[in-house]
Amino acid sequence: MEEYHSGDEVAFSPDDASNVVKELCLCVFIGQCIEGIVGGVDYSQNKVNQWTASIVEHTLTQLVKQGKPFKYIVNCAVMQKSGAGLHTANSCYWDTTTDGSCTVRWENRTMYCVVSVFAVAIAL
Amino acid sequence: MDDDQSAEELITESLEAVIGRNPYEQKRVNQWVSSVVEQCLGQLSKLSKPFKYIVTCIIMQKNGAGLQSASSCFWDNTTDGSCTVRWENKHLYCIVSVFGLAI
Repeated sequence: MEEYHSGDEVAFSPDDASNVVKELCLCVFIGQCIEGIVGGVDYSQNKVNQWTASIVEHTLTQLVKQGKPFKYIVNCAVMQKSGAGLHTANSCYWDTTTDGSCTVRWENRTMYCVVSVFAVAIAL
Repeated sequence: MDDDQSAEELITESLEAVIGRNPYEQKRVNQWVSSVVEQCLGQLSKLSKPFKYIVTCIIMQKNGAGLQSASSCFWDNTTDGSCTVRWENKHLYCIVSVFGLAI
């Protein structure tokens, strides 16, 4: 385990896990990705299916391009603004020293969007 | 698959136990989402399989709003998998997803 950690960029301390995930510019490009797909448009039942699929695919593609030894799960929920309450929660059973997650909450005039990215290290 | 079937049952049982027929209550829903994910995760880890798990839960009040959810995964298709359960009662919708990644 010692040689796995020393000088090896794939292993992170518990506090750094979410920082490193963020260092991958995760939050920034998730936000950019969402803006690019639904920024400025109104909620549309016909298109929402397409939007959620595009958001998760684009985000995943950008992550994979980083070339880091992680498996990724990207989750996206889009909800129309109509006064309804929405709550989300995640719980993970993993290695807190190497794995991490990042959640971005975005909104415009007519909808909310919550995107979560989970990164699970691949054992080399 | 047998594993998917038991994951689905596990999730549904957690939802029935935690939420059941309760109406959407803003003060309690925070507790509910947390309990659902923790209970599911607890049951999954008891299976003692060589997997890492991620459980997500969304609860939405029924009032006519549209909700769409999607996931995309970059993993090993031969060993990893997921299970999503869409559940509802008279007052709320709930979507629970479990992702299992082989160690």
